[in-house]
Amino acid sequence: MIDARDFEQLEKHLFEVPVSFRQDMRVPARFYADKELLKGVVADNSLQQLINTATLPGIVKYALAMPDIHQGYGFPIGGVVATELPHGIISPGGVGYDINCGVRLLATHLNQEEINPYLDDLATILYSNCPSGIGKGGNIKLKGGELDKVMTAGAKWAVKRGYGSEADLERTEESGCLAGADPGKVSQRAKDRGKGQVGTLGAGNHFIELDVVHRVFDESVAQRIGLFQGQIAVQIHCGSRGLGHQICGDYVKQFQKMITIYGLNLPDRELVCAPLSSSDGQDYLSAMKAAANYAFANRQVLAFHIRRSFEQVLAGKVSNHHIFQIYDIAHNMAKVETHHIDGRQVRVCVHRKGATRAFGPGSAELPSVYRDIGQPVLVPGSMGTASWVLVGTEASMDQTFGSTCHGAGRTMSRKKAKKTIRGATLREALEGRGILIRAGSMSGLAEEAPEAYKDVDRVVEVVHGAGIAKKVAKLKPIAVIKG
Amino acid sequence: MDRRPEVHRKMGFEEIEHTADRALRIFGIDLQELFNSAAQGMIGLMVADVSKVPLEVEKSIELAAIDAESLLVEWLSELAYWAETEMLVFNELRIQNLTATHLQASVLGGKVPELKKHIKAVTYHNLKIIKTARGLEATIVFDV
Repeated sequence: MIDARDFEQLEKHLFEVPVSFRQDMRVPARFYADKELLKGVVADNSLQQLINTATLPGIVKYALAMPDIHQGYGFPIGGVVATELPHGIISPGGVGYDINCGVRLLATHLNQEEINPYLDDLATILYSNCPSGIGKGGNIKLKGGELDKVMTAGAKWAVKRGYGSEADLERTEESGCLAGADPGKVSQRAKDRGKGQVGTLGAGNHFIELDVVHRVFDESVAQRIGLFQGQIAVQIHCGSRGLGHQICGDYVKQFQKMITIYGLNLPDRELVCAPLSSSDGQDYLSAMKAAANYAFANRQVLAFHIRRSFEQVLAGKVSNHHIFQIYDIAHNMAKVETHHIDGRQVRVCVHRKGATRAFGPGSAELPSVYRDIGQPVLVPGSMGTASWVLVGTEASMDQTFGSTCHGAGRTMSRKKAKKTIRGATLREALEGRGILIRAGSMSGLAEEAPEAYKDVDRVVEVVHGAGIAKKVAKLKPIAVIKG
Repeated sequence: MDRRPEVHRKMGFEEIEHTADRALRIFGIDLQELFNSAAQGMIGLMVADVSKVPLEVEKSIELAAIDAESLLVEWLSELAYWAETEMLVFNELRIQNLTATHLQASVLGGKVPELKKHIKAVTYHNLKIIKTARGLEATIVFDV
């Protein structure tokens, strides 16, 4: 186990394990934390996992972890690794199984008083319209080559089919479609798993949540992106479902042979990787993009179901039941980006495993509506606590390859959470605090108890304090829908 | 804090702590028993009452991989696949032929009304089958 003697404090919120700590490290390992979060960082294997990523071929500057770091598999969750092209590696395990797991934030023209009389009905209809839970398929049946279109066009496919608007696409990372996706690099089994799941939430920590904007920290940015205090907003948290899980599994298996081919010396087989300049690396990237596009389409269809639910319950009863999109972000992804590193422009592959892209003002990749304020960053907290809207900064471009935190981060194992917390009791407690719960599984609910997570406010204070994102608004939940 | 693992020695597996996902330590006197323990352990995570799984569907499974660890991941992934896509759980496992790189089995089980846990994926995280005084042992982390 690693302890405080093994790392040094560089700044108030930044710590570093030096490259000399382990012989196989190519770069130092840096992580963001405060005194309290530090206790969690050293309590499990997350630092060990972060250090393991510092051994990856082609890694530049440092292996990074955001303050919501916790133990995962291969990479720690909260990990960010950039490898230099052309020969730097891409690692399927470094993206994770839920490729383009992410968050979409929608906003309404309503305040809490207007929605309160209908909240119960709305939660029920949302639960019924948005398929969730294990093995639950969606209500879109993809025929013939249509799944391939989902994988190549992403959210654009969904909008073309009538599940949204151009304004939604404009306010989605990469406009909801990564160029270069190749369904030909996706296995039949992955397609079989994905074909019936477009527009489904799944289980685990995925959710739809109705929130109220509790406090605005930056009035001018909030106004620009369309948020105001007291406003009702909706979050969607989900990813590429079985399709993404299978693609990752297929390539982690296939890449096991790279250990011999490239003479890789890896501390963990989950970190298997291939140079981006190789056909294997390119194949994975094309398949990963297919899953990423599927996930963008998935959240787009879920947004449609949410709009439909609002229409069903609220049309004619409130002043304006329409919903508009604030932004949609990915937090499990590898992307080829250009970053300014040590005085030169460098093409790198940035792996974000449980970390959010947080590009600062002026970035060409941002939609014109947000280019001057920086990229909106959506940070869902644990159930029943709070979520945050932040914006990317220039410092995030300098320090973290334009990345920041993605959530609260777990501290308690699912096994222990289930043992110590009863789902029904938790539901009662949350409802007592005015948070409606619609959940398919009470044990699944217990695993996601707020006690099992770090304090999201503390995580956000660290990224804000370190300058790698800036607070815009804090949201509080009023209804949670999950599988 | 109770740190005692939930031990199912007779079944050859125990669940161990993992912050974000689920992990099992599995045991077996030989590779066949180890593979059986791993599958039983994973089924235990997925199904509330294994004894209620009907025995009405039979499937033949044949898998190949580069080594025993990869084969173990393939074996569990295969069983998790049927659970996710068809709600089919197989709990009578007849491994007929097993080497470090090849598996042939016939599995018997049936549809269940619900799964208590979705196994998204079986990972290679720190996966190594090691020899112990009692036989073989490994730790498997599941993405859930």
